[in-house]
Amino acid sequence: MKKTMTISVLAASVALGLGVSGAAFAAKIPAGTPLAAKQEIVRNNGSEAESLDPAIAESVGANNLVRDLFEGLTATDNEGRVVPGVAESWKQKDPTTWVFTLRKNAKWSDGSSVTADDFVYGIRRFLDPKTASTYATTYGAFLLNGVEAAEGKKPVSDVGVKALDKFTLEIKTPYPVAFLPEVVSNGQLGPAPKAAIDKFGKDWVKPGNMVSNGAFVLKEWQVNSKVVLAKNPQYWDNKNVQLTRVTYLPIEDGFADVKMFLSGENDWVYQLPPGTYEKYKAELPKDIRNAPMLGLRYYGLNHKDPVMKDVRVRKALSMVIDRDILAAKITADGQVPAYSAIVRGTSGADVTSYDWAKWPMAQRVAEAKKLLAAAGLKPGSKVKFSYNTSEYHKKMAIFAASEWKTKLGLNTELENMEFKVLLKKRHDGDYQIGRNGWVADYNDASTFLTLVQCGSEQNDNFNCNPKAEALIKQGNQAQNPAQRKQLLTQATKLIMDDYPMIPLLQYTVPRLVKSYVGGYTTKNPMDRYRSKDLYIIKH
Amino acid sequence: MWSYALRRVLMTIPTLLLVITVCYLMLHATPGGPFDTERKVSAAVMANLQAKYHLDLPLWQQYLLYLKSLLQGDLGASFRYADWSVNELVGNALPVSLAIGGGALLLSVIIGVALGIVAALRQNSLIDYFVMLVGNLGSAFPSFVIGPVLILLFAIWLSVLPAGGWNDFDPRYMVLPIALLTFINVSTIGRVMRGSLIEVLNSNFIRTARAKGLPLSTIVFRHALKPALMPVVSVLGPLAISSITSAVVTESVFSLPGLGKLIINGASNRDYTLVLGLVVLVTVFAVILNLLVDLAYAYLDPKIRY
Repeated sequence: MKKTMTISVLAASVALGLGVSGAAFAAKIPAGTPLAAKQEIVRNNGSEAESLDPAIAESVGANNLVRDLFEGLTATDNEGRVVPGVAESWKQKDPTTWVFTLRKNAKWSDGSSVTADDFVYGIRRFLDPKTASTYATTYGAFLLNGVEAAEGKKPVSDVGVKALDKFTLEIKTPYPVAFLPEVVSNGQLGPAPKAAIDKFGKDWVKPGNMVSNGAFVLKEWQVNSKVVLAKNPQYWDNKNVQLTRVTYLPIEDGFADVKMFLSGENDWVYQLPPGTYEKYKAELPKDIRNAPMLGLRYYGLNHKDPVMKDVRVRKALSMVIDRDILAAKITADGQVPAYSAIVRGTSGADVTSYDWAKWPMAQRVAEAKKLLAAAGLKPGSKVKFSYNTSEYHKKMAIFAASEWKTKLGLNTELENMEFKVLLKKRHDGDYQIGRNGWVADYNDASTFLTLVQCGSEQNDNFNCNPKAEALIKQGNQAQNPAQRKQLLTQATKLIMDDYPMIPLLQYTVPRLVKSYVGGYTTKNPMDRYRSKDLYIIKH
Repeated sequence: MWSYALRRVLMTIPTLLLVITVCYLMLHATPGGPFDTERKVSAAVMANLQAKYHLDLPLWQQYLLYLKSLLQGDLGASFRYADWSVNELVGNALPVSLAIGGGALLLSVIIGVALGIVAALRQNSLIDYFVMLVGNLGSAFPSFVIGPVLILLFAIWLSVLPAGGWNDFDPRYMVLPIALLTFINVSTIGRVMRGSLIEVLNSNFIRTARAKGLPLSTIVFRHALKPALMPVVSVLGPLAISSITSAVVTESVFSLPGLGKLIINGASNRDYTLVLGLVVLVTVFAVILNLLVDLAYAYLDPKIRY
């Protein structure tokens, strides 16, 4: 079968992605908005970036910087829509072959053209075992032979990325990946400046050495102090970039972050410290921002544990936690109750729920008690909950423990530990109930499904539903997105009925952003804001 | 005295080796490794990472490799800060810590000794009570309470100083952290100085000096000060080291890019090389400071000769 298909997913990207070139996509400023003379912003990034090398960047903070410094084939705008990046258009030639047409005016900061070869080099370098990128198998899974190359089983030259000519790139996927245009917005799959990397080695990311192709260039980098970016005069869409200087701060202490915001040294609080959302909502109503994002707080249930391997116990524990009270009174920061491994706003599957979620609590408790009795777990029995030390997690854990105590008579032993110790225990299956959380890498249900799929690295519950696994496989092979969505939703429902985990809340990002920062929206489910889309309103 | 100093410096080598070995073993025995993150990487990627940083070798081989590069003055590559070597990280953070810690220490000695002298001479007067009150407050309130209060007052209400951050030794960014550390150190130095001077002033040779009719200033500055400074010098060593190591809180409150920040991030990220590098640095510092303190004793007390 060889037919030319148009992009079949993400309606917005279809509209924007085809046949448009050189159009303005950045900083869509509402007519009549007066701009400030000084277009400079200070954004707190939450922590020091572990690397500015797009192939190695892993944390949210590092990727924020990479998105400003580099541009991939596509990008996502301030409402999370896929927009053209270096590629001005793309086509799905057949179910597993995509062709991206690069714009001819895309330039590196040294003035040279960004070519298809730069993408081939960048992607091969990213997957090369010597680079040792932690994302190698995550994104490599969407490229033909990507995982095999990352694991050193095949040479990187076998990866399904090919320059058809100077400005045409072909990408082959192992199965029909309808959301590939969004995946390739990630810097890991972007171009890399071979000349600079060959010349400076590891130091190519330092100020003065770095050659980049994004809307901004690296001016200054003081570890644990700041990273300063300046507008890139070589950037193809340079005339639509408003900000001339962007300063990223690496402040981890939420209270220090807020104080710098209040004293005017910071325009963007990374995340409000726990328990302060209501206060600042009242005090700074113009600056407070809060919106759900694609992230899930949940408690993992270790299926290797003799008590937790009984589905009746797992179901009872999940049923009695009142998510409404948890969201409204305990965390009190606008988070949304969750009953599925997939959160609202995720493409590729519908959010599932449980019938009991709508029952009155008394009925839920009665049912849960029956389940526990049938499982032979008597009131007074002990369960063990492990979490990493943090006020926030502790508050939630105490609430869960009190729900299990008052409603089921179970005694919970709360065990707190350092983060890395918890990670080790979770990965090794050395726990009973464990705090867990996940933020989507890309907007598709498959990122959340990795938490509950058979043998998945991210599955700390060690559950496996072979029927659901077959449905997911079938869905991934499906060429019709609607059919895939239906299969993945069905699979999610099947898995969630096994109660592999206790979904609790969908993440929100409560933060303060100065009211004069334009371009910030509350419709950005991945919370990815390129500074290209931001501007300073006269104030 | 020089041969004594040389012997002391040579003694550092076995001390350092012991500290490195113990720290090395403790770090590797701690659960969780540098590449354990919320997103668990696949076995193959983990193997890639381990190979990149030689963590795939047997522990003793890694240890010898580390010692070898240490001899060449190379503290290794950082795991947490992938683009930087430990040498670069320490090189960037050390001047910040020295400026804040050293500045605070210098100020605390001047102010602390002066206040201690005044309080000792006016024992049980209002001035004495005031000095003691300041001293007790500085000891009683932890820096994570005083720091934010200073920020609230000077950065948010009065808007005269920045709330935090660092800008190339711009004094405006150094005032509050130095003030905080000075306040805390002054409380220790002031109390020690007062107590010690009172004791010296009550000793026989001072009584003799008084009997000879010497003026008070001569008694204090020529005869009493030197012996009274002994206990102050003793606390200076530990104070200096703690202004670097316990600067963690100050650096967090004021968002400073110093060594404390590196220690915390290094430890929580299992950045073995970074933590070891900092431990080596702090050990060398401690040895040098202790040596200086011991040499100062010889200057202050004629009975001590090396």
